Amino acid sequence: MRALFTGALPRTVLTVLLALVMGGVIMQVSGKDALNAYQVLFNSAFGNERALANTLLAATPLIFTGLATLIAFRAGIFNVGVEGSLYVGAFTAAWVGFTFVDLPGVVLIALAFAAGGLVGGLWGLIPGYLKARLRVDEIVTTIMLNYVAIRFTDYLVTGPFFVPGMANAMSAEVTPQAQLPRLVERSQLNLSLVVALVVFLVVAFMLRRTTLGYEVKTIGSNPVFARWIGMPVSRTIMLVMSISGLIGGLAGAGQALGVNYRFVSGFSRGLGFDGIVIALLGRGSPVGVLLSALFLGALRNGASTMEMFTRIPRDLIDIVVALVIFFTAVEIGFNWLRRRRPTPDAVPPPGSAAEPEKEGVRGNA
Amino acid sequence: METLDLIVNIAASTLRLATPLILAAMAGLLSLQVGQVNIGLEGMMLAGSFAVVAFGFWLGSTWMGVLAAILVGVALAALFAFVVTRLKANLIVSGLALNLLASGGTAYLLEILFNTSGTFSPTALQSLPNLSLPVLSDLPLVGRLLFNHSPLVYVSWLAIPLTALFLYRTIPGIHIQAIGQNEEAARSVGIPVRRRQYLALMIGGALCGLAGAHLAVGDLALFREDMTAGRGFIALAAVYFAAGRPRLSALACLLFGLFEALQFRLQLASSIPPQFFQMLPYVMVVITLAVISARKEWRKGWS
Amino acid sequence: MPYLELRGIRKTYPGGVLANDDITLSVEQGEIHGLVGENGAGKSTLMKILYGMEQPDHGEILLAGRSLKIANPHAAIQLGIGMVHQHFQLVPNLTVAENIALGAEPRKGLFADQAAMHSRVRALSERFGLQVDPAARVSDLSVGLQQRVEILKMLYRDARLLILDEPSAVLTPQEVESLFSVLRRLVAEGCTAIFITHKLYEIMSICERATVLRRGRVVGSVRTAESSPAEISRLMVGHDVASPQRTPPNANPRDRLVVRALTTGSAHRSTPLDFTIRSGEILGVAGVEGNGQSELIEALLGVRTGVTGDIVLDGTSLSRLNARRRREKGLALIPEDRNREGLSRPMQVWENLASATYYRSARASVLDLGGLQGAARDLIRRFDIRVSSEKSAVSTLSGGNAQKVVIARELAESPAVLIAAQPTRGLDVGAAQFVHEQLLNLRREGVGILLISADLDELLALSDRLIVMFEGRILATFQRDAATRQALGLAMAGRLESEDAP
Repeated sequence: MRALFTGALPRTVLTVLLALVMGGVIMQVSGKDALNAYQVLFNSAFGNERALANTLLAATPLIFTGLATLIAFRAGIFNVGVEGSLYVGAFTAAWVGFTFVDLPGVVLIALAFAAGGLVGGLWGLIPGYLKARLRVDEIVTTIMLNYVAIRFTDYLVTGPFFVPGMANAMSAEVTPQAQLPRLVERSQLNLSLVVALVVFLVVAFMLRRTTLGYEVKTIGSNPVFARWIGMPVSRTIMLVMSISGLIGGLAGAGQALGVNYRFVSGFSRGLGFDGIVIALLGRGSPVGVLLSALFLGALRNGASTMEMFTRIPRDLIDIVVALVIFFTAVEIGFNWLRRRRPTPDAVPPPGSAAEPEKEGVRGNA
Repeated sequence: METLDLIVNIAASTLRLATPLILAAMAGLLSLQVGQVNIGLEGMMLAGSFAVVAFGFWLGSTWMGVLAAILVGVALAALFAFVVTRLKANLIVSGLALNLLASGGTAYLLEILFNTSGTFSPTALQSLPNLSLPVLSDLPLVGRLLFNHSPLVYVSWLAIPLTALFLYRTIPGIHIQAIGQNEEAARSVGIPVRRRQYLALMIGGALCGLAGAHLAVGDLALFREDMTAGRGFIALAAVYFAAGRPRLSALACLLFGLFEALQFRLQLASSIPPQFFQMLPYVMVVITLAVISARKEWRKGWS
Repeated sequence: MPYLELRGIRKTYPGGVLANDDITLSVEQGEIHGLVGENGAGKSTLMKILYGMEQPDHGEILLAGRSLKIANPHAAIQLGIGMVHQHFQLVPNLTVAENIALGAEPRKGLFADQAAMHSRVRALSERFGLQVDPAARVSDLSVGLQQRVEILKMLYRDARLLILDEPSAVLTPQEVESLFSVLRRLVAEGCTAIFITHKLYEIMSICERATVLRRGRVVGSVRTAESSPAEISRLMVGHDVASPQRTPPNANPRDRLVVRALTTGSAHRSTPLDFTIRSGEILGVAGVEGNGQSELIEALLGVRTGVTGDIVLDGTSLSRLNARRRREKGLALIPEDRNREGLSRPMQVWENLASATYYRSARASVLDLGGLQGAARDLIRRFDIRVSSEKSAVSTLSGGNAQKVVIARELAESPAVLIAAQPTRGLDVGAAQFVHEQLLNLRREGVGILLISADLDELLALSDRLIVMFEGRILATFQRDAATRQALGLAMAGRLESEDAP
């Protein structure tokens, strides 16, 4: 694994630069001044304290979803379902926030985060259970369950939790003491970033130093061996999917309590999918995830200002991100992620029967 | 009489709504059969929707727009095929990237080219006129139900047996199955694996282009950002639901089309929330996969 | 002029593994030529080169006197070279005829001409005496029939030179006999064959000449009529096989592992298994691969569902315990396929060594990294694992050293019962000897050992008793003195001697 990441940073930077250059070419072809656009983008992402705060604000949910995807990746699970966990987590947190209005702020915020994480975790457990116990391919189930979560939460705010007089489908506002305190003035940057950083530390420690991290690594590299050596493989897969969903749920809670102050139907528009980009770009390391989330946050934050000043549609950034994914996917191809068979049978781990030992005994000793 | 009318109306709109699903499902099925799960159906469809409107508008002919949609679908599929077969990038990740590229790219182009965002419905652009089959469309009920539709509806019907014929009877089709089930075996007898993968994916791209075209000009004539709204994934669900078989996949698409039709019709009349029908295809495929796997596990035990 | 000549073939894999080193060999027209050598000797690589799947770094291939460059399997097929792979290259959901004709289908326009396909397959079947139903789905066929389909696939392509890569590995002795008669018929019809194996008696009975490889080099070329199994074996391993030193069996043995009425829920008719392993005893399990050995291992280890019956280790029933608990009770395993079941190759040596016990020293779920790495260093020293650091990845180790990692881990905890499955597969002679010594040491210490091996020599040299598995059941039990190669062979084929003797 480690060998895979040597020289990762320069290569990541290169893929990102390449995508930015291609984005620039697209802008030039569309008759826009790309250099100026990037300048504006950079300034509005990092130019002053407020810009930086907004970049961090945009990065906050991405840190969560990136870590959520990463931990599953490490166990060899391709969890595309963080988006779904995010939705159910966000609704749950908002519900706590507008229901238990008599609780003091600290308790209420803690409770809302806990509830959002819990429900997100349970949501992740569904495909986790199906994969661990029945070997149902998690890619398909998580993709499908995302849509279920999005539609179901939409139902909740248009049906049972409908608030009359609202133009869009959204829940009631959470009570003021449940709204996350802001960290700086003139930006929505809020406590949720601190929660994200705590989660980062916990995940990094968990992966490096704990029995669970060790089991995750073993299962991710060779699930058959893990089972034969006596590791609780099914249990770990379910646990990992729950943790992944839990972190996704926290991301949703953070957005609901810290940015929107309510649950807004369809609010995420792909924060969970961005997590895949970030885990990929971060090459399987928590620190890489942190940096990638910051990068993507800067792009997303800078894009809206760029649109305002240069009249270049912010959708350009989606194109750049898509290119980053293409280039990164092409360039790394995590070997265990590679070439999944459509059949639900488990992927043969690297160095298994599918890839017999090279003949000849000389070479190395 | 009124109930009968309602039923015929629902059935007819089911057929219309199932059309893009069927076309995209045939595309998804071909890529599944050649061993490449295609998450990018959604993006290819969306690009097709954009292309049919943009080119139909420029060229002053909706049919030329349809042709452009097919070509755009094929081009994106070729890009996807290149990235996953030649450059060996991860399938799922590349598919997601393709979707993002399509949604970002169409939105970007909408602003750059037509200086508008959200929805673009040029008045100069006509939707595809309904094709009423002579004689048949005059039949009572059946005529209205089956033989008075946008032309691409009939194309989707044709696509089903043609896909089956292609896959099971033609030589490239047999090769595609062989590659999907045992790529090494296919390679060892000299089948040009990569070329066949390109073929399967590019036919799929054409079908997705058509699916997108139907969405945009089958009924109205407009492009809306992200107008595919997850239909690519519903099509994929249908393929999984039917374990990759053409006719069964099409049936699943009809069923999902029915859900969509019901959701519009019953919204006002009944207490069933529309989201229920929207969720149903996804829930069904998850349950189906679970049941299939459970039965398989039951039979073989862990190994 | 020889029909096929390979001159000075050399092939180095990325990573520096020298698989073929200056290999020269020649095959006459109409000959069945044996290519023998241990696992890892370079046989498969050489044949992949001949079949165009790999390109040699150096060397020349001459077919009927013409120097050739074989770019890919397709080119090889065009030249009349066909290969039956050890792992069949069949498409399960297609029919027999479609599989045979795959890639060379008779056309009718765009379509495959099914009728022509079937009649050509039928004609070939009759000409070479290979009966098989062209309309059957391949997934429904037995292994023996699938091999027939593979052979027909080559004949369909007018192969004149047939390469058979370990064709007997998956067959019963009867099926091997019928394969041999097919081969003789093919040769009589004008074909030439290269027969890859590491089983000596097969070479002696089917081949006229054999080329012996060792460590990627040709170490000898013999006429079987003028040679002996002993000579070929010497060539293969490089010296006389020394029988390992065995001490006399334990005087007062006690039962260590008792297996009663064990069914594994496999595809075989699940006949219950009963056997006992006593302290200081090596119980050998003979049998053609695929006769229930793998299922038995999985059932004993506890990684299989649908298992019934009782497994008792030193008086404690394991039946309801999971793999970890069973290991804690003293069960250890050297698995059949170490890269799949015994190691995580991308992970470091210490991580692999710690994988059975890491959780015990953990405090509040936090790993004791220092302790685990220190223990790993001790094991590396004790078992003489050649590795630069305990932090090297296992993927950088040779097969022998990787196996030592497995053995070190499994023996570190002083097991009560050891299951050793194909423990020397793919190892060079030195490493194999090391493994045998370890097994005999354990036997001396009173450990009960279940030795599952495809290598009859290994079984005969080490076992105190032998059982033969056939179609999922124990067909015969032999005491060491009564076990002969011939008797074992018959039992492996599913026949009991008593059936023949009145």
